[in-house]
Amino acid sequence: MIPEKQVEQTKTTTKYRSQFRIYVDVMQVIQREGNQAKPTRILYGANLSHDRLVKYLDELKGLGVIQESGTDEKLYSLTQKGIEFMNNFRRVESFASAFGFKI
Amino acid sequence: MVARFFFFGFGSIMEFVAFVIAIAIANQALKGYHLSKEKTLLYLNISFVLIGTGLLVDGLSTLIVLLAHARRLFLALFGIGYTINFLAQVVAYGLLVFAYIHQARSVGGGPALAAAMPILFFERNAVSELILIFLLVYIATQTGINYSINKGTNALLVFGAFASLAVAHGFFLIYTVAPIFFPFAQIAQLFGFILLLAMLLRVNRSR
Repeated sequence: MIPEKQVEQTKTTTKYRSQFRIYVDVMQVIQREGNQAKPTRILYGANLSHDRLVKYLDELKGLGVIQESGTDEKLYSLTQKGIEFMNNFRRVESFASAFGFKI
Repeated sequence: MVARFFFFGFGSIMEFVAFVIAIAIANQALKGYHLSKEKTLLYLNISFVLIGTGLLVDGLSTLIVLLAHARRLFLALFGIGYTINFLAQVVAYGLLVFAYIHQARSVGGGPALAAAMPILFFERNAVSELILIFLLVYIATQTGINYSINKGTNALLVFGAFASLAVAHGFFLIYTVAPIFFPFAQIAQLFGFILLLAMLLRVNRSR
């Protein structure tokens, strides 16, 4: 669902979150907030700087997994594609976790 | 003759069932890899494809020998089937060990298990079984540690599965001196794969 080139791992996967993991963290924050999250909540919840937050939100919108709404204050929610992605991710995470692997 | 047919035929059927479960696990790991591009899931996929292939080859070779009424010409198939199954399992479990080491962030040179050794076909023997037991005990320990940390039912099922596979190879080891243990080994092996199937069903049921 998320293009391979955008899921590139950092050279040392041990210390830095992969781009994929950041996407998931952002989407998890949105879900936790009842599928309507303000940028500040995402920023703190996903532990991102403002610049990186803007970058990742744009990328996720481009992938069609989140959408923006609101005029005065922006709100982000998962699209149907995003919800399906998160459902698949949870299955994969649960499967990997059963073997003791983290994704 | 009839007793031998049931004895080994029973083993073949169990290996076919285990093959199907191994491929289902491999498929789930591949789906996970496509989604996350996490290499450990790719290693898991390759491991279970190898395990499944080894079991299928061993099961088929045994079945062919049985159907050929153990004619001398076909008896070599026993050795060929077991050798392929053994090599597949060594590489598969070695790859899983590598995946755990990789996950533990102390990546060294490489698995070094697919060593370019001359292939001599051999039948089930104590040394080959000891190698598999060693690898499986390591994997069972890792999955046991994982269960002790996250306490999840799925982690328990995976731990149980690898522990059961280690026990199965313990029985296969005893089988080399006491053939009566062959069915116990097959049952323990199948039980291990059934535990993995249970985990897979639980994972896919949850939303």
